Amino acid sequence: MRKTLRGVYLGLILFFLYSPIAVMIVLSFNASRSRAKWGGFTFDWYVRLTQRSDILQALWVTLTVAVIATVLATIIGTGAAIGIQAMKKRPASLILKVSYLPMTMPDIVTGVSLMLMFVFVNVPLGYWTMVMAHITFDTPYVLFSVLPKLRQTDSNLYEAALDLGCTPMQAVRKVILPEIMPGVITGALLSFTMSLDDFIISYFTSYTDKNLSMVIYSAARKGIEPSIYALSTIMFLVVLALLIVINKRGALENVS
Amino acid sequence: MIEDTHLIELKGVSRTFGTTQALKDINLYIRKREFVTLLGPSGCGKTTMLRIIGGFEYADEGQVLFEGKDIANVPPYKRRINTVFQKYALFTHLNVYDNIAFGLTLKKMPKDEIARRVGRMLRLVKMEGYEKRGVDSLSGGQQQRIAIARALVNEPEVLLLDEPLGALDLKLRREMQLELKSMQQQLGITFIYVTHDQEEALTMSDTVVVMNHGCIQQIGDPKRIYDEPKNAFVADFIGESNIISGVMIRDELCEMFGQEFPCVDEGFAPNEPVDIVVRPEDVMVVGEDVGQLTGEVASVIFKGVHYEMMIRTEAFAWKVHSTTMQPVGTRVGLTIVPFNIHIMHKAGGQ
Repeated sequence: MRKTLRGVYLGLILFFLYSPIAVMIVLSFNASRSRAKWGGFTFDWYVRLTQRSDILQALWVTLTVAVIATVLATIIGTGAAIGIQAMKKRPASLILKVSYLPMTMPDIVTGVSLMLMFVFVNVPLGYWTMVMAHITFDTPYVLFSVLPKLRQTDSNLYEAALDLGCTPMQAVRKVILPEIMPGVITGALLSFTMSLDDFIISYFTSYTDKNLSMVIYSAARKGIEPSIYALSTIMFLVVLALLIVINKRGALENVS
Repeated sequence: MIEDTHLIELKGVSRTFGTTQALKDINLYIRKREFVTLLGPSGCGKTTMLRIIGGFEYADEGQVLFEGKDIANVPPYKRRINTVFQKYALFTHLNVYDNIAFGLTLKKMPKDEIARRVGRMLRLVKMEGYEKRGVDSLSGGQQQRIAIARALVNEPEVLLLDEPLGALDLKLRREMQLELKSMQQQLGITFIYVTHDQEEALTMSDTVVVMNHGCIQQIGDPKRIYDEPKNAFVADFIGESNIISGVMIRDELCEMFGQEFPCVDEGFAPNEPVDIVVRPEDVMVVGEDVGQLTGEVASVIFKGVHYEMMIRTEAFAWKVHSTTMQPVGTRVGLTIVPFNIHIMHKAGGQ
């Protein structure tokens, strides 16, 4: 009895969580434009996506912004982690708290404040302001993926590298980086995921260039067409795949 | 054999961290092919001294000379010195072979030469056949051997070892002590070894440097350090001892507990207050009526080779090591031959 109750409860939670997405995925294959009636299975809406230049353009913006922001945030975040690890305890914990804040801050605050700053220094809101904004919110994810890995390593590792003939740069490149690489990759994957599905911060920081989330938003306001369901389905699947990869890596790390 | 040239010399070296002075005016030379042990309790400055020699720490004052040249501005990667770290600091992203080959690969040595040298090192540390293994899969003792091989393969002038056997069990430690000593003799490399284990220091070293509170207490070969401790700290830290506060009446005569004892030390001021050290194995248990002192056995502990007894006299409880046991409560006499009484200046004055 208790077992079935538990099952029903869990089922309900999952139902409420995932039924909207399931409905959207089903409708993206619906031949009929109507949301109320099943008109047969079709890939038409997915084909339509490839014909809409605004969506292709947004896809390009989304991917390139995500790649550039991920690469730069990974470099900045990893460097910061190595620096913080070498710092004394008190200043290090202060910097960590300051870095943690943007992760918990509402996106709208980050978005509005970044927009204000760009306007204030007179930078036109477009592609590169979006890139900068993405680097800003990606960096803490890298930092907090790399730091635990650094803490696991032997504290004499850097000195051992110097001892064996590495210059300080070589020690970081040949010893420290390879040792913390799993953390760096996890951080990069997280950053990429965050960039791919960001809407609010991008919306405030770019005016001329739109990413996929922004296109879906404006399309939805004009009256939705099922190709938007198809686009959202694709985004959902990509982000889901990335999250599975990240979690699997985490599980592997914990085992070893 | 140890050569009489000073390979490394520390002149007036001091180092302060915040408000604690880790090293105070250290003067020390280390000869070529010498096995030197820096011995002392934790926090005595021995590791700081090792790190200054390795180049990972700098001296606030004083000079560190290597073959007569000041190396203050020579970074660790240019010093002909290698280190075995306390927790080994092996590179977990590389296998055993690549760990050992690391230093040689950096020097762009030809591949076949690297293979030859790594092979030789693996034989030396008895780890042949482990080339392809990941270092994480090795036991503590095996990791230790790889760390030693990784340092020695670079053929350093000096090898620094920072409590390298600390994590091993007693039996393995003893084995490794002998192996390290034989490696050092075989390769003819200067070893500077840091430990807080006095037995380890006495077993392996040519020279022991006893340290406390950032100062050198005594430098000497193990036998000298054990037999003629310079002060109460050294006597207490190296082996076990009875330390008694007494007076040096005149040359070759001292006084403990108001009683005169002939000894062999000379050169103290008349009636100078001194610390008197007697090793537990040097106190002889004799019949009650023939001893210099009389007392009662208060406790007996069996230690394997000998018995450790506490024998209480009127004024002092003597620690005595003897191969024959006296039951608790027995009245006994104690005798100390003059040669076994060691007189030291009171702590404070060096």
